[in-house]
Amino acid sequence: MPETIVDILRRAKVGDIALDTAPTVHPDATLEQVCRLLEGRERSAVVVCDGEQVCGIFTQRDLLYRAAEGALDPKGAIGELMTRSPRTFQAGRPLSEALDVMVEGGFRQLPLVDGEGRARGLLTTWDVLAFIARRFPEETLNLPPRLHQVLSTPEGA
Amino acid sequence: MRCPYCGHDNIQGIELCEQCGADLAGLDIPEAGDGLGGRLLTDRVADLDLSPAPLLGPDGTVADALDLMANQRHGCVLVVEDGVLCGIFTERDVLSRVVLAGCDATATPLSAVMTPTPVRLEADDPPAFAIHSMVSRGLRHLPVVAGAELLGFVSVRNLLRYIRRDVIG
Repeated sequence: MPETIVDILRRAKVGDIALDTAPTVHPDATLEQVCRLLEGRERSAVVVCDGEQVCGIFTQRDLLYRAAEGALDPKGAIGELMTRSPRTFQAGRPLSEALDVMVEGGFRQLPLVDGEGRARGLLTTWDVLAFIARRFPEETLNLPPRLHQVLSTPEGA
Repeated sequence: MRCPYCGHDNIQGIELCEQCGADLAGLDIPEAGDGLGGRLLTDRVADLDLSPAPLLGPDGTVADALDLMANQRHGCVLVVEDGVLCGIFTERDVLSRVVLAGCDATATPLSAVMTPTPVRLEADDPPAFAIHSMVSRGLRHLPVVAGAELLGFVSVRNLLRYIRRDVIG
């Protein structure tokens, strides 16, 4: 009997699928440095660490909110702009639990930590969707192309 | 694939049956498997809890878009001209085309920083199409249209909520 999505989400540990170690920055990093990091790595957030402990997170959504409040100082410290003490998640816990937390709590990103609270990467909702798509290519990735999708420009959204 | 007319077992993806010449194009669309649940291929994206799209015209300013996105807590604005979708402006564009580019938000029109003719979904497309489009192209927001009518957009979050509630149960 084929493994179901529920089996896989329960068995997989979040640490197994957050392949790309999240960019980690010190609170003194500037907004500009963080933006360059996010742009180059195609990531939606950086984890802010003082030493090995997670002390904050700064996401593209945070940037949107700050930008909506007015002009931003590119030299400003990220420690002043970040969301402090974010909700974290144990890297050894099952993916199904992370999905519950993300959907119910409305978190797009969860900084991962080990048993001692040390930073162990970042899990995003996009990572979970991509994981599901990779594990079930028959249902998702092998679909025939559609004309309206082929003709469109592939960037930006 | 097996020809539904003569039963000949052809190689996968062939357009005409090697034995009887029947047109097989389009018949090798994957069938709903038991893995992720057939609903991903049989439901319609229009029936997901679509987010109502924040809308602006191409002459709206970047500052208008930032206000709208922040107040409605959405990661994108859809740009509409004469009722027709013509662009999308997302939080990723805020990063690369506004903050890093140092653009003047109150003086810059959306038409200068939006992505024109964005990837979109049709109302009848199955959720699997939405997942496919997002994952293969690295997108997080996809507008959904029914012909010329704009229905809203689907986000990574809409899809995960749907998968958790309807597919996983």
